[in-house]
Amino acid sequence: MRQLNLAYQVERFGLVIVWVAVILLFGAMRPDTFLTWSNFSTIFGSQAVLVIVTLGLVVPLTAGDFDLSIAQVLTFVSMVTAILSAKLGVPLWVIIPTVLVLGALVGAINGALTLYFRVHSLIVTLGVGTFLHGITLWISDSQTIGGVARALMQWSIIERFLGIPIAFYYAIGLAAAMWYVLSYTAFGQQLLFTGRGREVGRLSGIAVGRVRLLSFVASGVMGAIAGLIYTGTTGSANPSSGTMLLLPAFAAAFLGATCITPGRFNPWGSVVAVYFLVTGINGLSVLGFRTFVQDLCYGGALVVAVMVSQLVSGRKERNL
Amino acid sequence: MTSHLRTTSLAAALGLASLSPAYAQDGVAAATEAIASYSGLPTFTAPGPAFDAKACMADKKIFTIPASSAIPFIKTISDHKGELAAKLGFEHMVWENQGDPTQWIQGIEHAVNNGFNLVSLLAGADPRFFEPQVAAAQAAGVKVVTSHLTGLEQDAPAGVDAATAIDYKKAGELMANWTISKTGGKTNALVLVSNEALSTDSIVSGLTEAFAANCPDCKYEIVNVPIIEWATKIQPTVAGALQSNANLNYVIPIYDSMSTFVTPAIAIAGKGDAVKVATFNGTPFALDLIRDGSVEMDIGENLDWIAHAMLDAEMRLLCGQEAIRDSKVPLRVFSAENVAEVGAPADAAMGYGDAYQAGYKDLWMLAE
Repeated sequence: MRQLNLAYQVERFGLVIVWVAVILLFGAMRPDTFLTWSNFSTIFGSQAVLVIVTLGLVVPLTAGDFDLSIAQVLTFVSMVTAILSAKLGVPLWVIIPTVLVLGALVGAINGALTLYFRVHSLIVTLGVGTFLHGITLWISDSQTIGGVARALMQWSIIERFLGIPIAFYYAIGLAAAMWYVLSYTAFGQQLLFTGRGREVGRLSGIAVGRVRLLSFVASGVMGAIAGLIYTGTTGSANPSSGTMLLLPAFAAAFLGATCITPGRFNPWGSVVAVYFLVTGINGLSVLGFRTFVQDLCYGGALVVAVMVSQLVSGRKERNL
Repeated sequence: MTSHLRTTSLAAALGLASLSPAYAQDGVAAATEAIASYSGLPTFTAPGPAFDAKACMADKKIFTIPASSAIPFIKTISDHKGELAAKLGFEHMVWENQGDPTQWIQGIEHAVNNGFNLVSLLAGADPRFFEPQVAAAQAAGVKVVTSHLTGLEQDAPAGVDAATAIDYKKAGELMANWTISKTGGKTNALVLVSNEALSTDSIVSGLTEAFAANCPDCKYEIVNVPIIEWATKIQPTVAGALQSNANLNYVIPIYDSMSTFVTPAIAIAGKGDAVKVATFNGTPFALDLIRDGSVEMDIGENLDWIAHAMLDAEMRLLCGQEAIRDSKVPLRVFSAENVAEVGAPADAAMGYGDAYQAGYKDLWMLAE
């Protein structure tokens, strides 16, 4: 029993241990530059958007659904924010609730199409995401739009606490809120039941359809929040760049499911996974490795972590 | 003997050391002069002799395949070419596409099947992706040219009939010279490139040659980031360089659309005052970034001027004139000093004067 418990703890914190080992390794190789607070401030501050996109994916994944449209929601919201702010001069206090509602609306459309027509969410969200990309290209005339209100940048990357841009704390705040909802509320438990077995959930009296719909809405809102912060980070909106965040976010979500609460998509695991990957990439960049090494790092880390997690847990059958 | 050699080497070293500050100052002065000559309003230079464009083109048709209709820089050029062709009274068709090489192939086949005389592969539609189709078009009597794809010193790729070039090498030189001039010969730069674009070779050779000529002691590191990975790789690459190289004073993204991802990395590291950005293309949003201070310099080209120059070269080829390699499209250096001339927000065609319009009118023998 004790041995089992130890194996479980190793599995829970395996990625954290590897993360610390990676930090120590890079620290030993370049102590002067890697082990500096400014470098950690860069590591933590630069990937808040990726954390939020990953957290957004975790909600429908927990309910057993995919949301491939989240990166397009991010790009669309980013473009709408830039157009409203830079071209039309709309104040941020109007823009922020507007784009959050837009994100929720896209999520509701994803959910409604998936549930009513009983089409797999992978197909629906792929279609809705591609459609949104078309709208983004259309409204932007394929242009990068700059000149966004400075307050958005101020409250994304310029304001700092302990030297780390404030966007990092938004991401951590969202992870904490999501952890609370998933662990301590009825909705969180219903989400988990829905993901584990829809029929069982339904027979237990859970309104599975409503839970799945809400998970898509939550994902859409998270995509919109990521879009706002993305615009604040770059000070502009590009009609296609945000779409590149989708695969790293999925990689982080799957990697995150191997730690903290192994076998489940979970917010803290996702946060650890993103920063583990970012630390690896940052370290390789500091050491002067070429950019293709970043792909080796992302892909290799994902496959190795999932393999090790399976070995530790005795190679149990897993769906995801 | 050994002692003599040592003495001679020491004397030579001392001599070089005493000469090097002057040499370095010469390099900085040369760089500053190069920048100054590209900072004012450009003048029009005719790429060849005048010819009666309207008469010669009356029964001819040109087909333009832009690299992607979704890229505003390229779409603007192809649209302006169409407007000019309408004024000159001949048929011009643009093959709208989203940058997919299979769409370019469909386009070239459409041109061959519909009696077009010339196919213009515009600003990035790279014929190396479809050489057999180029050869088939040529065999059917259709001329195939690349426009705004290669640098002046690069040969026409994939056996096309002509390649009308842009002075990309000069753009590379100007970016290097800007940093040399601004740092007084102490450039320490990160250069971001995308090797898959044909123009990159030319830009990088200009950049390295300018550093070699004007500032051999300047330091720079060239990092390749493929275009498709700009959004995910540029920011961590710049962040890593800012950490590992405390003396970094410039980031040179050789295409200004990269700067969207460069400026946040600098802002997050809190190094906006120490690390500047110098870039190329003159895309409006990047010119706006000069105004807000996050980009220091951008080298621009006038899109309408490019449309005139490319159409001019294509018409000459159909009219039996000598093929034009140097389009004579000028570059202009934009910085805080002259960015007001491009308008607010920036307009792609402003800031270059209008001398070229009258120039081409004369060249094509158009009446008032």
